[in-house]
Amino acid sequence: MKIVVCIKQVPETTNVKINEQTKNIDRRGLGGVINSYDLNALQTALEIRKKVGGEVITLTMGPDDFAVSLQETLALGADKGVLLSDRAFAGADTLATGYVLGEAIEKMSDVDLVLVGQQSVDADTGQVGPIIAELLQVSQVTYAEKIEARSNELLINRKLDNVEQNITAKLPLLVTVTDKINQPQYTNIVEIAKSFDKPITTWHARDLNLEDSRVGQAGSPTIVRSISEPVEVTKINTRLSDDPVTAAKELVLALKQKNILTEEA
Amino acid sequence: MTVLKENWIFAENDLQKNNPVTYQLITKMKQISHDPVVVILIEEIDAKLENELSEYGPDKIITIKDNDLADGDDLEITNALANLIDQKGTPNTLIFPATVVGRSIAPRLQARLRTGLTADCLDLKFEDDLLVQTKPSYGDNIMCEIVIPNHRPQMVTARPNVFSSEKKINPNLKIESISDLQWKKDDQLVIESHVLPVKTTKDIKQAKRVVALGRGSKTEPAINVANDLKNKLHATIGVTRPLTDLDEFNIDDQIGQSGQTIAPDLLVNLGISGAVQYTSGISNAKIIVSANTDANAQIFKYSDYFFVGNATEFAKALEAIL
Ligand SMILES: Cc1cc2nc3c(=O)[nH]c(=O)nc-3n(C[C@H](O)[C@H](O)[C@H](O)COP(=O)(O)OP(=O)(O)OC[C@H]3O[C@@H](n4cnc5c(N)ncnc54)[C@H](O)[C@@H]3O)c2cc1C
Ligand SMILES: Nc1ncnc2c1ncn2[C@@H]1O[C@H](COP(=O)(O)O)[C@@H](O)[C@H]1O
Repeated sequence: MKIVVCIKQVPETTNVKINEQTKNIDRRGLGGVINSYDLNALQTALEIRKKVGGEVITLTMGPDDFAVSLQETLALGADKGVLLSDRAFAGADTLATGYVLGEAIEKMSDVDLVLVGQQSVDADTGQVGPIIAELLQVSQVTYAEKIEARSNELLINRKLDNVEQNITAKLPLLVTVTDKINQPQYTNIVEIAKSFDKPITTWHARDLNLEDSRVGQAGSPTIVRSISEPVEVTKINTRLSDDPVTAAKELVLALKQKNILTEEA
Repeated sequence: MTVLKENWIFAENDLQKNNPVTYQLITKMKQISHDPVVVILIEEIDAKLENELSEYGPDKIITIKDNDLADGDDLEITNALANLIDQKGTPNTLIFPATVVGRSIAPRLQARLRTGLTADCLDLKFEDDLLVQTKPSYGDNIMCEIVIPNHRPQMVTARPNVFSSEKKINPNLKIESISDLQWKKDDQLVIESHVLPVKTTKDIKQAKRVVALGRGSKTEPAINVANDLKNKLHATIGVTRPLTDLDEFNIDDQIGQSGQTIAPDLLVNLGISGAVQYTSGISNAKIIVSANTDANAQIFKYSDYFFVGNATEFAKALEAIL
């Protein structure tokens, strides 16, 4: 089975602040790590390869330093990495990102399965997967919690609000995975050493069959007008008495005045 | 491309029941827009989900009655909605709930229509025809204001239980039933759906009153007192993440970023510190009461009333006078 795993490099913590001067997110001193859900996607791919054989290719679009993350996927067991890097890709929203990733997968030809994370922890959208599926014109299964591979189909388990689904899916297919699907494994010295013999290829815009108007900022319908930190709730914080019985009485009185305790809920 | 001065809302339903998020989206869109609010409902031929939807005052409900499509996969529903837009025209806005279903279909349709989509919105407002969308990023640590100036429809998914629903009869409601919408079938997937066992506890997302337990109330006596208080208040128990280690609680009971967003009239926090991952799930609670031994606990900032001291003693005293 020829499997592509899309991985994104994200800041190591989501606990970020806005820089007063630049009005942008302060990423000073923040390292990059592989989006955690993408490690679940990679682990899924490795398990499928173990069962039915084939090849696992990791793919990322981003600046050149994302190659570090690709290298890490090779140490974890992927066969090769592809980096999509070009100035023209800068400023891409989910649509433009999905477009470039989709074209790269098209170029790889005969891909059976595309695996992506359920969402990236910085953008928090979960859109890139379904966008790629649409561009490739393949079926999709999102938020997979369990996958069992057969030679030419997958048995997938997922949950909606009140419904559990067991899906038998033919290939080609795109699947987005949750963090319930597996426990990503660690690598070891031997695998790290081996990984340096595995290839990482870089493709620029000219290597792909792209329409200029669909990449980067030009291809992004959404515009971020401003960013801010969540407004602090301005509540009047009333401290109750330190004696629990008195405090309870004060509270009940206040809630009755606010009509909170009058009717049975 | 004809752009309709209309707001379309995709009605989510499962098990032949409307998901209440649709009511919330109708109320919100009616509040912020002068243009008609149109609900797109896909349902089985003999279902009547439009009846309950109409109580929330949309201007129009388009019901697509089709047994196969009602069970359709993401690709099939995308195919059908794209055809509907081909037939009717492009709405100015197209809103989905930010549920598993909405978050799966919306981006696929977005790519088909080559327009913009903003995920998981917490607020929406209009500037003329432009929908201004507030979206959290970095695990709710950053808020972004996003617009889609040059493409239509302006698509968003909006988080459940952020907007409150209000019943309101619209005397001008029109219901249009479509039974012959064409859509391309997807033969790649065979889906078997099972209804999950009905949760014995009351659904915390819908609860009017919630008693929430944190690590400071993780002992058996503390949980027992909280249960007594819950019964007196006719409330539902919720927990912070550390409590999900216990057998009696799981992710459905967990409040917060990786759990549930709640919107009760009354929330009582017992022994909870107020980490951002927790408080992001309670910002729609009306009255918040918190008890904590730490006078500097973060949670007090979010509370209307707070008690500094042992949470179990406070809960016991409160239970006794209710
Ligand atoms: C990606 C991510 C997602 C997360 N998602 C969630 C989520 O969805 N929901 C969630 O809840 N957490 C979530 N967390 C964890 C979160 O960061 C906090 O660790 C958690 O909310 C803390 O729970 P707590 O307040 O119960 O415990 P603590 O922070 O340990 O606080 C316990 C409090 O109890 C007080 N206390 C102790 N004894 C008593 C007593 N006898 N009476 C009164 N007060 C007492 C203490 O003063 C303290 O303030 C997430 C974390 C991450 C990294
Ligand atoms: N720049 C990118 N390069 C490769 N994969 C990506 C990129 N952005 C997003 N993805 C994939 O799409 C998933 C969902 O991301 P998002 O839509 O940004 O929440 C991620 O878990 C990745 O698998």
